[in-house]
Amino acid sequence: MIEAVRIQQEDFSQDAEIAALKVGSQRIGGIATFLGCARDFSEGREVLQISFEAYGSMALAEMNKLRSEAMAKFGLLDARIVHRVTTVRAGDNIVFIAAAAEHRAAAFDACRWMIDELKLRVPIWKKELTPEGDSWVTPHP
Amino acid sequence: MIRVLFFGPVAERVQAREMQLEFTQGMTLHDVIVRLGMQHPGAFSIVSFIAVNQNQIHDKKMALHDNDEIALMAKFSGG
Repeated sequence: MIEAVRIQQEDFSQDAEIAALKVGSQRIGGIATFLGCARDFSEGREVLQISFEAYGSMALAEMNKLRSEAMAKFGLLDARIVHRVTTVRAGDNIVFIAAAAEHRAAAFDACRWMIDELKLRVPIWKKELTPEGDSWVTPHP
Repeated sequence: MIRVLFFGPVAERVQAREMQLEFTQGMTLHDVIVRLGMQHPGAFSIVSFIAVNQNQIHDKKMALHDNDEIALMAKFSGG
């Protein structure tokens, strides 16, 4: 089975990730997902591409910690986190998070918590490539 | 030897992804920060997180050991 937490260059399939969750347990009553994708506009500028860089080993360890914490904190049955580290264009997938729980409230809460924590804790950086030049993105709250 | 890693915006300002520093007994994280900070003040102005052996560190007085890996990182912007 594909690892539940991954950093990869290639695109991912949401269907495959959700299927992987569903084979694990028939007690799942709800799966909440977050799909982060690349925008073609940011801070008033057209964005041509977004380039990602990661401290790979630490990022993966932190993502695994995040998943374990979310499972304990929200009583999840399972969770998956996949982040691409490559150069993407507008519309391309960047990050996928899924939280599977017996009931929807825990799934929604955990999904939101994981993406918020990922942005704060996981050493990944993105640079926007625009017609006016390239610039590293300053984090948003 | 101490391995110092730079990523993203910090790497761009230091113009390097990695440096090797000779380890000396009693060396602390603070010593490394002061030394590199003097050489690359522009890069250090955006350093928000420091990790030693992939664990985030808040105590800069931390003693280092030979073969430690230090990462000097700007605020994260994944997702």
